[in-house]
Amino acid sequence: MLKERVLRFSGSARFAHWGHTITFLVLLFTGLTLFTPALGRVLTPLFGSHVTASSIHKVMAVFFTIIPLIALVINFKGFVEWWKDVFSFGANDIKFLMVFPLEFFGFHVEIPPQSKFNGGEKMNSVVTTTSCVLLALSGYVMWFKDAFPAGLVQWCYPIHGICMILATCMVCMHAYLGSFHPGSGESFWGMWKGTVRSDWAAHHHAKWYNEVTKS
Amino acid sequence: MMTKKKVFVDTSLCTGCKACSVACKAWNDLEAEKTQLITSYQSQASTTYNTWTYISMHEKYENGKMEWLMFKHQCYHCAEPSCLKACPVQAIYKTESGYTLIDHEKCIGCGYCVANCPWSVPKTNPELKKTFKCTGCIDRVENGIKPACVYTCQPGALHFGEPAEIEALAQTRLAEVKKDHPKAQLYGDNAMGGTTYLYLLLEDPEFYGLPVNPTVSSSLVVWKDWVQPYGIWLIPLAAAAAVGSFFTTRIINNANKSKGGDLHA
Repeated sequence: MLKERVLRFSGSARFAHWGHTITFLVLLFTGLTLFTPALGRVLTPLFGSHVTASSIHKVMAVFFTIIPLIALVINFKGFVEWWKDVFSFGANDIKFLMVFPLEFFGFHVEIPPQSKFNGGEKMNSVVTTTSCVLLALSGYVMWFKDAFPAGLVQWCYPIHGICMILATCMVCMHAYLGSFHPGSGESFWGMWKGTVRSDWAAHHHAKWYNEVTKS
Repeated sequence: MMTKKKVFVDTSLCTGCKACSVACKAWNDLEAEKTQLITSYQSQASTTYNTWTYISMHEKYENGKMEWLMFKHQCYHCAEPSCLKACPVQAIYKTESGYTLIDHEKCIGCGYCVANCPWSVPKTNPELKKTFKCTGCIDRVENGIKPACVYTCQPGALHFGEPAEIEALAQTRLAEVKKDHPKAQLYGDNAMGGTTYLYLLLEDPEFYGLPVNPTVSSSLVVWKDWVQPYGIWLIPLAAAAAVGSFFTTRIINNANKSKGGDLHA
C-alpha cells in the first residue's frame, strides 16, 4: 500500500538548509585552523596553508550569507510561517523540552501534540539562527577591521568563537536527531524530498498535521 | 645570556627631527613611503609595515604661547603582550632581553595581533601576508650595539641600558621636568606588565592620544582564557551525547522488543 505523504519543506527551505550545511561545514574546518595552535597543526595541512584556508573561508562566508537571503526573497511567506511557529512557544513545547532528554536516550515518554516544529526544533531554530547571524556579522567586522572601531573588532573574536561552538553543538545534535536517532524516522526525508509520511506527521506533529489536512 | 634591557624615551628633549625614523628605515632596510602632512609638522599617521617608528606632534597652547610636545611611537615590547596572547599560530615570542618579536616563518598575517595591540603597533603587509613591527633592533642589541633610533638621536632624548640605570635616569629627569611641567609623568612602567620602552611625558597620556592604563582587554581574556581552552569542549561533549544516544536508544528498544513492546518510529 502506498502511504500518503504531506509537504513539509518547500524547495527554497531545502535549498537554504543544504546550502548552509555545506558552507557551514567548510567554514567550520577552515576556521578551526586558527582556533588553537594544536587544531591548526592538524587541520591546516588539509587545505595546504593558512592562506588557502583563509581564502576558502572568505569565499564560503559570502555564500553562507547569500544562501539564506536568496531563500528569504524566494519564499518570504514560508520564512514568516517558520518564525511564527517558533515564537508561538507554549505549554506543549515546555513539556516537550522537559521529557525530551529521556526520549533522547531511548526511554519511552508521552509527548503532547506538537506543531510543525517541536519544542526542541524551536530552540534549535533560535540558537542556530542567532549564532549564524552573529557569526556572519562578527566575521565581516574582522574581515574589514579597518572600517570598525578597535573595541568592536576585539570583541568580535570571542563572539565568533562562542557562536561557532554553540552552532557546532547544535549541528552535532541536529544531524544526529535528523538521521540516526530511532525517533527521527521521516524527518530526514522531510528535508531531503520535501515530503513526509502522513502517519509519521500525525504521530510527531499532530497539531501541524491537523492544520494541514483541514485545509 | 642576555639580560633585560630598557629604553628611555625622554619626550621633553625630543625636537621632532625624525632622524630616528630615518635611522630605523636605514638599518632595517625598510622602503620609504610617500608621506603627507597629518597635523602640525607630523608626516606619519601611524606605524606601517614599512615604518616602524615615527614622531607624533602635539601643539599645546597656554597663555598665548605654543609648545610642541613630541611623542615617539614604536613597539613598546611589553612584558605581557596582547599580541603574543592573540596570535593563533604562536609566531610571537619574548626574548631574554625583554623584546617581543614576530617569527616570520610562522606568521600568517592574520592580523589578530594588529587588532589586539592597545597601541595598534603591528601592521600586516597584505602582499607578503606577514605582520611587521619594530624589532627593537634585536640584531644590534644582541651584538652589543644600541638600537638604531637610540644611536642616532641628536638631542639625547633616547637612552638604552640596564633596567635599573634607565629607571633611575627616568626618575631624575621626571623630578627636573616637573618644575616646568607639573603634569609630567612616566608612562609604560605600569602598562601590560611593564614595557621595555619607558616614557617621560609632559602631559597626561590622553593629551598624546594614548590609552591611560592599557591592560590585556577583557575580550582577549574571554576569548583566550575561557572560550578557547574550555568552551571548545562543549563540541565533543555534544558529539559524545549523540554517540551515547545512538547506543542507548538501540539497547532500550531491543529490551522492549524482547518484552513484546513495539519499536518507536
